[in-house]
Amino acid sequence: MNRRFIFIYGLIFVGFFVLLARLFDIMVLKHDKFVKKSENQRMAEVDVQVRRGIILDRLGRRLAVNLENNSVYLDKTNYNESDKRLQEVSDIIGVSFNELLTQVRGKKNFVWLKRKIPIEETDKLQEMRLSGIGLMAEPKRHYSLGYMAAHVLGFVNIDNKGLEGVEAVYDKELVDLGGKYFVERDARGNMFYNTNENERTGNTLTLTLDQGLQYIVEKELDDAMEKWRASAATAIMMDPYTGEILALSNRPTFDPNFPGKYGPASRRNRAITDFYEPGSTFKIVTAAGVLEENLVKPDDRIDCLGGAIEVGGKRIKDAHPHGVLTFMEVIQKSSNVGTIKLAQRLGKQRLHGYIKKFGFGERTGIDLPGEIPGRLRNPERWSGVSIGAIPIGQEVAATPLQVLTAYSIVANGGYKVSPSVVKEITDTDGKAHPISKKYDGTEQVISKKTIDILKNAFTMVTQEGGTATFARVEGNLVAGKTGTAQIFDRAQGRYSHTDFISSFVGFVPVDKPVFSMIVVVWKPRGAIYGGIVAAPVFKNIATKALTYLNVPKEEKLKNTTLVVENASTGKKPHN
Amino acid sequence: MEEITNPVIQEKGQFDTILFVSVLCLILVGVFMVYSATSVVAPSRTEAAAASLTDLRYLKKHLASIILGFVLMSVMYKMNSESLKKMALPLLILSILLLLAVKIPGIGATVNGARRWIRVLGITFQPSELVKLSLVLYMAKYLSGGSFVPDSVKAFAKPVGLMLVLQAMLLLQPDFGSAAIVGVITFALLFLAGVRIKYILSLGVVLIPVVVKLIMEPYRLKRVLVFLNPWADEKRSGFQLIQSFVALGNGGLDGVGIGKSTQKLFFLPEAKTDFIFAIVGEETGLIGAAFVVLLFFIVFLRGIFIVNRLKGGFYMYTAAGITLLISIQAVINMAVVSGLLPTKGLPLPFISYGGSSMVLNAAAIGILLNLSEGEVIVRHESPVITKEEADYKVNRRKGRIFTYAK
Repeated sequence: MNRRFIFIYGLIFVGFFVLLARLFDIMVLKHDKFVKKSENQRMAEVDVQVRRGIILDRLGRRLAVNLENNSVYLDKTNYNESDKRLQEVSDIIGVSFNELLTQVRGKKNFVWLKRKIPIEETDKLQEMRLSGIGLMAEPKRHYSLGYMAAHVLGFVNIDNKGLEGVEAVYDKELVDLGGKYFVERDARGNMFYNTNENERTGNTLTLTLDQGLQYIVEKELDDAMEKWRASAATAIMMDPYTGEILALSNRPTFDPNFPGKYGPASRRNRAITDFYEPGSTFKIVTAAGVLEENLVKPDDRIDCLGGAIEVGGKRIKDAHPHGVLTFMEVIQKSSNVGTIKLAQRLGKQRLHGYIKKFGFGERTGIDLPGEIPGRLRNPERWSGVSIGAIPIGQEVAATPLQVLTAYSIVANGGYKVSPSVVKEITDTDGKAHPISKKYDGTEQVISKKTIDILKNAFTMVTQEGGTATFARVEGNLVAGKTGTAQIFDRAQGRYSHTDFISSFVGFVPVDKPVFSMIVVVWKPRGAIYGGIVAAPVFKNIATKALTYLNVPKEEKLKNTTLVVENASTGKKPHN
Repeated sequence: MEEITNPVIQEKGQFDTILFVSVLCLILVGVFMVYSATSVVAPSRTEAAAASLTDLRYLKKHLASIILGFVLMSVMYKMNSESLKKMALPLLILSILLLLAVKIPGIGATVNGARRWIRVLGITFQPSELVKLSLVLYMAKYLSGGSFVPDSVKAFAKPVGLMLVLQAMLLLQPDFGSAAIVGVITFALLFLAGVRIKYILSLGVVLIPVVVKLIMEPYRLKRVLVFLNPWADEKRSGFQLIQSFVALGNGGLDGVGIGKSTQKLFFLPEAKTDFIFAIVGEETGLIGAAFVVLLFFIVFLRGIFIVNRLKGGFYMYTAAGITLLISIQAVINMAVVSGLLPTKGLPLPFISYGGSSMVLNAAAIGILLNLSEGEVIVRHESPVITKEEADYKVNRRKGRIFTYAK
């Protein structure tokens, strides 16, 4: 072989050899360095957008779901677009050109330009193949029923963090795993997902609510608000045996899909955040107390002193004067004088004890945010009037839920329950975890004997001669109690003469209640009494709810029950 | 003069299966890598984004040019080897005409600011690839022809002049890579043909103005020398090379897996063409990259065997030219990708996406296979050296006698 050939071949051979050595250097010796470099430039750290778990009603109907939306972001390190193209972007996403320009010139490398716009609208953006402006899928919370059950569900902020309702209380469970995760991206800023972290869905919440019952309650509250031109209203329906809330609604309300459009007054869950003087509904405590302590028998006669009694130097009157009433009649006709006389037999300490037994003065522990304990003073701080005022529901303040929980004790036969709105949490493996509660309905606080008497008394309330005949339901016996409380006017330093809070709390059917329910109407116009304002709402809801729940009608009642239809011309019941 | 009679033996060559299989392997690697570099396998949330990256048109075009390449390869393989000689000059003229055609508006096509392509009836062709092969054939013909005298300046100047004309046209496009290859091939063949080393060295003088220009305008030098330290200008001139390093380095010993390259996601410019070797390295690691190097080395070795058997003349120079053309292009391309040489813009033969390169390299292999099988006259069966041969050797050393029988 010619030496010149050998020389050329040698050169090329050396070339091959040097090449291999160089490859070994880059690919093996400097491997770690370049792996890191590669990761740095293609991995972007992004907040986990773990899909929130969905929220179902007790029968598995969807109340809160996630919609696929796109968010537009600016990745400034890769941004390289003309102003003309930026203007196009501005037109598509509806953010002003100047605002975009500020972001582009700003210091932050990663900025959201517009959050959560429907995928259809971002198609054009995708086609433009922009550098440094990208799209990222972000789930948007959607409440399929609009304002229905808004106060129970609550809402989330733009970052899908729960702010109110069960969304807030169960935020951790709904997102399950959070934090940061890494996404791969190409040099143009398009994101690739190499992990399925983003696909992770939080636990599913199954609420105790029943969508059907909720709908009935919402509808009737709307009607009541319109009829009575009230400032606010609340209705809560509960399974008295378990404390599970079957429906809860407040007026005014809001659409959790657009929480920002509503004021705090609309977003407030009055059922647990507002207290009021419960008025006559509070007589349950005195009645139960004197029965438990054997201080009275159902047919004992009590002189109601013609409608007024002096306590601690203050006259407390009945709405309608009564003479001598039996114990049962005192409850039925809601005599203040009779109740006070009974309470005086009980005394301060024991009365306070029963108030506590019924759960007043402390939070019910419902799994919703913002609950207040109400207001209850210790007996040591009671004034002379207190023994007269407290038994008839003044000088104390309670939330609608507290009152309902107290009546549920009667409804379920004397057992204490903790109200709740979440039934169980189903994890991603499909395993259901029931929610544990403080009182699960096994601790008896009032004896069976007392409960039977109270049930009869509360049933009489809705019968002829009672204060809440308008609460009667065809086919089933309703037990309950009306309440009409004055609103203390802070400006004038006395109770208002025009503003009242009308309420009715009860359960149906009496023997084996399927639900207990409270209806509270704030500042009704045209009528003030609970028996006129709130009782018909109860009746309307209960009638539909019993039909919805397929509760059989009791034959014996069919012919005897008279339903008074015309509320406004009917005989005015007593408070 | 003594007469030593030697039997003249004709030896029929064999089809070079190893060469053919190696090239086949390279083409196969190319198919996988072009497909990988033009598609996104990584699961993407935004399917539209993945779809926009996956472009099967590239794979289809690549396969089409492979088919065309095989057709041309078999044509060249079957062709009467004498007609190769006749083809040399017309081919060179054709390629020069095509180089000129690139400049004609409506025919010439511009990509990335360079006018390197002609487009007729939707078919794009890169004349510089034809220039390389036709130059080899023409040089082989010239060097084996009677007019070439290794010692003559005139005989040296002619091909150098041709080279400069070709280079000037290529630099106008601009296509530095092809211009460099044209230069390397011309000088290598002249060197092999035995021209005086001092001629070759004296041509270095031509480079002086270039060197002066580079020193006078340092930014030009900087751009050429950026490969020595790409980190100095990481975001701009060093970007491509660093991205190439990242691809190779990320691959490690065994690679990230076929289709899983992340550098192809627009980080590495020219990932499917000139820098495809970086993607090979990233996806298959040092093992895969070394395998490709080995395949080219086998092609190189088989080329040497064929050249050796041919002993001299047109066929030998053709074989040598083609072997050098493919080996040097491959080594330079891989050296550029791994930062050993400044970025040129040369495709990796048989692997890079690009029809003209594929078709003409396949044709070149066809010629090589043709020559591997061709009959050669084995002149000397006897170990005894003829008088002429002895004279030749002696005189050659002195540099006097140059007319040993061709």
